Amino acid sequence: MEAFSHLIAAFDQEQADADKAAAAAASAGFAYGLAAIGPGIGIGYLVGKSVEAMARQPEAAGMVRTTMFLGIAFTEALALIGFVVFILIGL
Amino acid sequence: MIAEAFKFPEINSILRWQDLFTSFNKIALIAVLAAVIGSTIFILAGRKDAAVAPKGVRNLAETSVEFIENGIVMQTMGKDGMGWTPFLLSLFLFIYLCNVPGIIPFLQMPATARMAIPMFFALLVWVIYNGVGIKHQGIGGYLKSTLFPPGVPVFLYILVTPIEFISNILVRPFSLMVRLFANMLAGHILLVTFALLTQSLFTAETQKFLLKPMAVLPLFMLIFLTAFEVLVAFLQAYIFTILTAVYIGGSAHPEH
Amino acid sequence: MHSAVVHLQGSSLQVHLVSEGEATTTTVAEETTVTGEELVGEGETHAAVSKDPGPIVPEVKELAWGAGSFIVFALLMRFVLFPKVKKGMDARYNSIRSAHESADTERADARAEVAAYEAQLAAIKAESAKVVEAARATLESERQAKLAEVNAGIAERRAAATAQAEAARTAARDQIHAAVSDVAGRAGELATGRRPAAGVVERVVNEVMAR
Repeated sequence: MEAFSHLIAAFDQEQADADKAAAAAASAGFAYGLAAIGPGIGIGYLVGKSVEAMARQPEAAGMVRTTMFLGIAFTEALALIGFVVFILIGL
Repeated sequence: MIAEAFKFPEINSILRWQDLFTSFNKIALIAVLAAVIGSTIFILAGRKDAAVAPKGVRNLAETSVEFIENGIVMQTMGKDGMGWTPFLLSLFLFIYLCNVPGIIPFLQMPATARMAIPMFFALLVWVIYNGVGIKHQGIGGYLKSTLFPPGVPVFLYILVTPIEFISNILVRPFSLMVRLFANMLAGHILLVTFALLTQSLFTAETQKFLLKPMAVLPLFMLIFLTAFEVLVAFLQAYIFTILTAVYIGGSAHPEH
Repeated sequence: MHSAVVHLQGSSLQVHLVSEGEATTTTVAEETTVTGEELVGEGETHAAVSKDPGPIVPEVKELAWGAGSFIVFALLMRFVLFPKVKKGMDARYNSIRSAHESADTERADARAEVAAYEAQLAAIKAESAKVVEAARATLESERQAKLAEVNAGIAERRAAATAQAEAARTAARDQIHAAVSDVAGRAGELATGRRPAAGVVERVVNEVMAR
């Protein structure tokens, strides 16, 4: 009988681990998906405005492009932090 | 069943590498190779006759120098920042040469997808821009211009100063580090995913006639992503370098 | 009385049920955990590690090698490699710039020479135009003089001819007048039988001839 209790304990542990892994995977997916919304909108808006500016003043295109990359870098950081969280809790 | 055939490997097994010899793994190999290749380009470029129109290696080296000077230093620091060109150039080349092995066959691993190298660079840049600020404005002046930005009502400093401290002193190196690391890691994981998907579809045991032709789809995606990673490798090196230049320029001349 | 001994060996969980004298071995639950070793197999360079260090924890050896090679590279670039390439670039740019400048001065010289030549050319042209103008004026005056002379000759001759013709005409007219008067007088005489007065004939003839 003692042997069975050991076995059941082992299975329980395994089941709990699997549950935990499933919950972690699901929440990781949510975390990344939520983290991608804001930066997605932000980068789209930013690039759209930059293209508009470049089309209006092609002679200032170099400066606008540099600033655009800086802005993208700052905006993207949020999504990337979400990605790191995804890696940390999900995989 | 596909679900059984395609099982994503443990994340560490695509990121961590065994030592080639004592305390020297693939990441270290890529870092050393980056330094060696970068130096070799400039050694070869320096040997050629400077008077004639540049060709080949010398052209490559001069193009990179001009890219740093015109594309980064002049855009962010102006003429005063020309002294930073060698540092920014070596930063750019080193990061680029660490990123690019992610798509080179047999290496297939960006060295910057491990935390070590981005962390080192972020700390180095942090030390440098703070040092430059203190050197140019004195420690009091630097703290004043970073933590107490001019043109803000006095009572708002209760709010502004902690935000400025967090964003300038803590978030900057952290975001610098995470941006480079996470971009390269994401690219690496995407490449691994589509490569494994292609392989598992192509070697499917059941429903062969349906599944094997479908392997073309992830293969195309893999090719597209490889091309995309070429761009990302360059862009991330560029962004890291230009942000470094912006931070250094900002602490050298706070009014900008 | 049984007791269970559980072993975790590689990827399999082994349970030994041990009672007095006999032991049964049961293998339970294959593939409990997937270790890195199992995934990559032999000959690969992947580290055989579990989840423990985490994928984003920096490794000291990577940090050391990366930092070391970057520092060596940066110092080499700063003090040896970059200055050499940059010096070459600057030298070439300066030579190109000086060549441009000398080309500019040469071009300016050439322009000045061209301007001087053009000024000379203009002066010569003006002079030649003046000479040509003078010659033309002389020629014109001579031509006018000759023309006037010839015109005078022609006018003289024409006047003489006109006078002659006038005289001839007058003479012929007088003769015609006389003849007509005579004929008219005779005709009148023959018609009327008497000679008309000379004055009347004269008048009629004059009237007719004036018509």
